Formats: sequence, C-alpha cells, structure tokens
Amino acid sequence: MRAEEIASKSGQPLVDPKPQDYAPLPPPYDKYEDEPIAELTADQKAKWEHSLDGVSALNLPRPESKEEEERLVRAFLSGLEKLLQKENNWTFLQPLTLSMEYCARCQTCADACPVYEMSGRKDIYRPTFRSDVVRKIAKKYLSPGGKILAGFRGHDIDLNWEVVARLAELAYRCTLCRRCAQVCPIGVDNGLITHELRKLFSQELGIAAAEIHSKGSVKHLQFGSSTGMVKAAVVDIIEYLEDDIEEKTGKRIKIPVNKKGAEILLVHNAGEFMSWPENPMAFAILFDAAGIDYTLSTETIGYDAVNYGVWYDDVQFARVALTHLNIARDLGVKKIVIGECGHAHKALSVIADRLLPGQQMIPRESSYTLLWDIVKSGKIKFDPTKNDFPVTLHDPCNIVRLMGVVKPQREILKAITPPGRFREMTPHGVENYCCGGGSGFAIMGSGNFPDWKLRLSCRKKVQQILGAFQGEMDPSVKKMVCSPCSNCKGMIRDAFEHYEVYPKTGIWYTGLVEMMVNAMVDQEQPFLEWPDEDEDE
Amino acid sequence: MDILQLLTYLSGVVFVVAFAAKLLKYFTMPMHVRWELYPIPHEGKPYGGSFFEEVDHWKKTRHKDHMAQYAFMVPEILFIRALYEDNRPLWYVTFPFHMGLYLSIGGLVFLVIGAILQIIGLMPGTSALAQLVHSITIILAVIGFVLGAIGAVGLIIRRLSDPLLRDTSVPIDYFNLVWLGAIFVTSFLVWLTDPGFVVSRNYLASLLTFKPRPELSALQIINLLLFIGFWAYFPFTHMTHMVSKYFMWDKVKWDDSPNVGDAGVDAKIKTYLGYPVTWAAPHIGAEGGKKTWADVATTNPWTEQAK
Ligand code: SF4
Ligand code: SF4
Ligand code: SF4
Repeated sequence: MRAEEIASKSGQPLVDPKPQDYAPLPPPYDKYEDEPIAELTADQKAKWEHSLDGVSALNLPRPESKEEEERLVRAFLSGLEKLLQKENNWTFLQPLTLSMEYCARCQTCADACPVYEMSGRKDIYRPTFRSDVVRKIAKKYLSPGGKILAGFRGHDIDLNWEVVARLAELAYRCTLCRRCAQVCPIGVDNGLITHELRKLFSQELGIAAAEIHSKGSVKHLQFGSSTGMVKAAVVDIIEYLEDDIEEKTGKRIKIPVNKKGAEILLVHNAGEFMSWPENPMAFAILFDAAGIDYTLSTETIGYDAVNYGVWYDDVQFARVALTHLNIARDLGVKKIVIGECGHAHKALSVIADRLLPGQQMIPRESSYTLLWDIVKSGKIKFDPTKNDFPVTLHDPCNIVRLMGVVKPQREILKAITPPGRFREMTPHGVENYCCGGGSGFAIMGSGNFPDWKLRLSCRKKVQQILGAFQGEMDPSVKKMVCSPCSNCKGMIRDAFEHYEVYPKTGIWYTGLVEMMVNAMVDQEQPFLEWPDEDEDE
Repeated sequence: MDILQLLTYLSGVVFVVAFAAKLLKYFTMPMHVRWELYPIPHEGKPYGGSFFEEVDHWKKTRHKDHMAQYAFMVPEILFIRALYEDNRPLWYVTFPFHMGLYLSIGGLVFLVIGAILQIIGLMPGTSALAQLVHSITIILAVIGFVLGAIGAVGLIIRRLSDPLLRDTSVPIDYFNLVWLGAIFVTSFLVWLTDPGFVVSRNYLASLLTFKPRPELSALQIINLLLFIGFWAYFPFTHMTHMVSKYFMWDKVKWDDSPNVGDAGVDAKIKTYLGYPVTWAAPHIGAEGGKKTWADVATTNPWTEQAK
C-alpha cells in the first residue's frame, strides 16, 4: 500500500489485521488461533474515528462539521511547522530534521519492527509508512515550491481530515522501541518520527491517549502519581510494606522516608506499590542488608518515578522531570537511583540530562548498576540453588538499547541462579524486542485497543519467551521470565493472561530484586510466589 | 569564455554553496536532548554497554575508544555493513553501486592531480610520478564505471521487482538511478574512445588555468553535461546521506556526552530555556509565545486544582 492511500475518503479501515495473517508462535502455540480483534460497537463507530485499522486507541471524536474538520487540519499543519522550528522544538529539531530528510527508501527497517512482522507485514504498521506520510505532507505543504512536480518527486499526498485522524491513531501503533533505527544504514529514526508526531498532536491539538495524558501525566502533576495515589496513601502503603516484610522475613525493617542528607533517593514506579508490592519490599530488604544509606520520598510527584511525557509531550515531560530533580536537591541526596522502571530510567537519566545547566543536575543511576555493585561487594550472601528453575531475561528497551545498561542484570542473574539455569532470548541485549507495552501501550486500554496490543505488539515477546524455553514446555516444570521493568511486567502479565501461558507452559514472570531476595541465604521462606501455590498447599 | 567551461564552473559553485548551506544548517541547529542508541562503539563495549553500567559513573574519567569507532565506521562506509547484515538482497546491488561511486570519484580526484602535474610540466610519458597518477586514475575510474553501472541497473531492477520496494519507490528514485547510470555508461564509453583520458585531463587543465578548452567529441560533451548537471543537483537530494551520516551518528546516535557542568553547554541550555513557546494546546499554557520554555516547564497548571 502506498503512503498516499492514507488520504482515502472511503471512511473504511485501510486494513483488517486478521488472525490468520499473524506470524506463527512456537509450540505449544503452533496450532493456536486467536479470536479476531473485537469490532467496535455501532455506537462507538459512530462516535469515534477508526478508519485506520478498525481499532480506536484514542477514542478520537469525529468532527461535528466541515469547518471543525478544516480547523483541525490547519492546526495539524501548524503543529508540523512548529516541530520544524528551533524555538518550539529545540529539544529534537536536529535528529528530527535528519530523519525527515534522508530516508533512502530501502525498507531495511521494515523487518526489524515487531509490530509489522507479527501483523503478517501489514503495510500501515511498517516503520516507514507513518514516517513517509509525515515527510510527504511536510514536503508538499511546508517546503518552498513543495507543490511543484510533487507527483514526480513522490510527495503528492492530499492532506485532509482522514489523513489527520488516521495519523493520530497510527502514532499509537508503534512502541517507540527504536529497533528500526538500529538497522537503518542511513541512521534514520522512524521511532523518533512517531514520538514527534505524538508531540504534535498533544502539544498543538491536545490529542493524546487518555491513559497517558488526562489519566496519566495530568494525574501525576495533580495528585502526585499517575496511579492517582496521594501522599497520605503512600505513607500508609509504606507501613504496610514494613508489615509485609516482617511477615515474609521475620524481620522488622524501617523503610527510610524523606531522610534529609541520605546518600541516595530511590524512586519507584508507583504502580509497583499497588500491583507488585514485593518489588519495593525486595528493594528495602536488599538495601537494608547491604547497609545502603537511602531514602524514599513521599513528596507529591517524588514517590512516582514514571514520566509519561517521554512518550508524547515535551512540556509534560519537563514538568515531571524537573520536579523529580528538585525533590532530590531539597533532600540533599548525592544521587537518584531509579527502581525497576524502564521509561523512568530513560526519562530521568538520558532525556532529562540537558534540561538544566550542569551544576544543577543531580546524578542519576540505574538500580541494576547499584544492585550489581552490592552483589560484587559480597555484603549479602546468596544461595543460587534457591532459584533452581529455568530463567530467561527480558531486556527493557529503555534501559538496554536506549541507555546501554546490559551487563549488570545478567551478572546478577548468573550470581543468583545455579549454573545452566539462565538462558538468553534470541535476540537479546541491545538487539532485544520490546515487550509490546512500550510507549504507554502497557497501560492503554480504551476501545478495542487492548485486543490489538495483545495480538500484535506483544506477540513478538511471547514468541521469544516461548522460544527460550523450548524443550521444557511441560507445565509442571516451573520457569521464570525475569522482567526488571514495571511497564514490561504489566504487559507480560496481560499477555500471559491472554495466552494462558502459565497453565499451558508453567512460565511465570517476576522482577530482578524479587529473585535476588529469593536467593538470600538469610531468607528462610521462599520470597517468590508462583500463581498456583495456594492450590498446591 | 566557453559555455561548457562556464557551466562547469557554475556547477562547481552551486555544489559548494549548496553543500555549505546544508552543513551550516545542521551545524547551527540547537543542541538537542540526548537520544542516543546503543551500541555506541566509542564506549568500548562491543555488547553495547555504556558508562551507565558503572556505579558513580559521573565521578570517573570517561575514555572514548576512538579505534572502536573507526573499526565500526570504515566497514560501514566502505562496505555498507548495515545492509550486508540486515538486507543482503539489496546489498548485492547497492554495494557495487556505492563502490563504483567511490572509485569513480577517486578516479576524478586523480585526474585532477594529473591535470595539475601536467600544468607544471609533468606528463605521464616523461615523469614517473605523473605516470603513477595516470595509472591509478585509469584503474579507479574504469573499475568504478563498471561497478557503478552494474549497481545502478541492479538497483533499478531491484526496485521494480521487489513488491515492497516497488510500492514505496517514487519516480524520482528511478530518475536519479537512470541519471547516475547514464553517467557511468557514458564515462565508460569516453574511456573506450580516449583510453588515456587525455582530452578529459586537458579539459580539467583548461579549467584550472582559465585557458580555452580542448575540442570535445559529442560523446564527451554529453558525458560532461550529465556529470556537471548531477554535480549541481546532488546537494539538494537525500543522496547527500554520506555526509548526513556524520550528524546521524556522531551528533545523534552516539551523542552520549553527559551534562556535567560545561560552560558552553550551560550557556546553550540557558538560551534554549528562554525561547518563546507557541504550542497551542491549552495544557501547555504558552499564551501564544508570551511564555518561554522555562516558564511552561516550571508551571504546574494542576497544583491549584489539587489543593
Ligand atoms: S528509514 Fe532507513 S532503513 Fe528504513 S527505508 Fe529509510 S533509509 Fe531504509
Ligand atoms: S520504533 Fe519499534 S515499534 Fe516503532 S516502528 Fe520502529 S521498530 Fe516498529
Ligand atoms: S515497556 Fe519495557 S520493553 Fe517495552 S518499551 Fe518500555 S522498557 Fe521497553
């Protein structure tokens, strides 16, 4: 399909991603047939734009009049213009312009993209499809003489409301994993173009996925956490964690909170407190045992390390990142250590690095790095035989491909599992595949988007996980995916539920610190829990 | 002055000015936020690791492994390794094409050197140096023309036969390939009619000395026009990606320099934070450019509501 076809006025979806076209999964899923993606109801179809692929992630309302349509199209074009101005987009102007101007149309990036591959190579999900539409519009409508020989030069695209509506949805069919950018011989970054497109929609038209904007970064700025958790609740939760730790370890540990002058401010994705409290608990147990001088913060925003702005809006991003830095500065800590959250790593360590003059920055460090240091120090004794089950490791793209933290988590796993138990996925490390929940997908659940993500964006990861355990698929053999990122865990949890992975194969998931505590010599009870354990007892 | 010579000078001027403008545009863009992509060869960790793997990395001196960088860059530029690894069918045609280009340009450079030697009186028959230059010129150019022509035709066939490439190629892609292919083919024919490139060297010498040009055959004129036309057109196309690669790699994918308090960087950040913002969505609160980046980034429009 040519990029120009996005302007089709048929009102019909450009593709129908059918299960029979999806890339196959390995055994025991070789005969598995998915249900088709649920169709939107007649009422939803009447209300929401869905002409990209029949899926509505944004629940974008249809414009009420021709004038409204025209206004939105004009706003889109003005947003595109702003993306290409240094005042409005100094943050990404250079990489964006390079990626806009130099694609050689070789399509090498296509097969690097998990969404494109797993959909059965549907054109609209190809990394260059989206970018080409944006490029063509910019060339035709914003460059001098753009309309001259537009057909010959390959950018004779019509800009109408259909294009804008489809592009808005299309901006949410890419996980920003940037695997495509890694293989491009020129260095073009189609993931970046998606990122910029999302910014255009949010910063100019106020259009974004509700889960990441109004129910995400707005809640974060308003209440202190994208989960909606307020300060008082965090204080209570931390007390519960202390109780639970006592129950599980027989030891009362005081979790330090708002401790001025502590060496380290440890920040967690607040989703962990609610969905996987064992994770912050495990951090507390390990840091206590290693004698780390640290603190958590219960300041508004300071107890939630997430920063959804990194997926769609530079201003929302900067607001949260600057608050994180301010809180650390007020506490007088020497560094911020980021818990198991991939995008929080990238947001605070990498992207926020040039938001303030150097002297005002607070050093940021990955928890993986510090944890490896703890393991190397020998301050905690581990007994690898306590983790005597096959294990594989999921690499969160934000921490690995986008930050270069590759080795610490592997060294830790090797130190806490018996020889031969840890195996890599293919491929892994900086060439890994996203869990499918990147760029907000893990938390996005509007319309029929969950059906789409469970079938297409996370399918590659499911394929890889099954691949890592081939030959050991007997469900009675318990196997673990170590996934040290809250978002990835969320996606893997949902994928496992959808594909019924645990009952069919015995594969479960957890974080890194949980496995570390499980292997501690001092830890009498197993710390890890398997889903059917209650029934076993 | 002769019209052909004039056009040749003109094409040279357009090339230099347009290319300089392009470079200037990229060099003067604001420093962007970090957006690196691993592996980064100068980190010196072949598996793709970075300084973030070290505890207290900001306290340690950073070593950039420049050798690793060259070891990556040279095969990348000369052999187009990325395509060799990730898109072999295309590599079979694009490698000869690019190699043909490099060799032909090399041949041209040596032809210019030969012309300069000729001006100072060193001719291939009488000077060993001139003879060496002459031989290199011919070897580079002829192999270059053949490879380039094979590559250009191969690329056209590949674009037409692969369904995905056919769908995504646009007329100008074929036009460029045909144009470059025509340059390679006519250059080869020029060599067949003048195996020592004597006329071509004389023509270059005439340009360098501002003297009248030698007589050119129709074939030579066609070849010259095709070449100088392309020379002037080239800086305006995406084919300058050989140069943009420098920015793509060095300034984006591999730009991992941490912000640790450099006066120059600080001054830039302060300037950027003072830029006016005109993003129109209400939550930005830009007030049509009355607010700067510093203003909008330090305002939390929801704090009041929370209270
Ligand atoms: S983005 Fe890169 S890999 Fe993809 S088509 Fe363009 S040049 Fe080729
Ligand atoms: S960033 Fe990832 S998901 Fe998006 S187009 Fe590239 S490979 Fe596909
Ligand atoms: S959710 Fe995890 S794997 Fe997926 S993009 Fe984020 S960090 Fe990457």
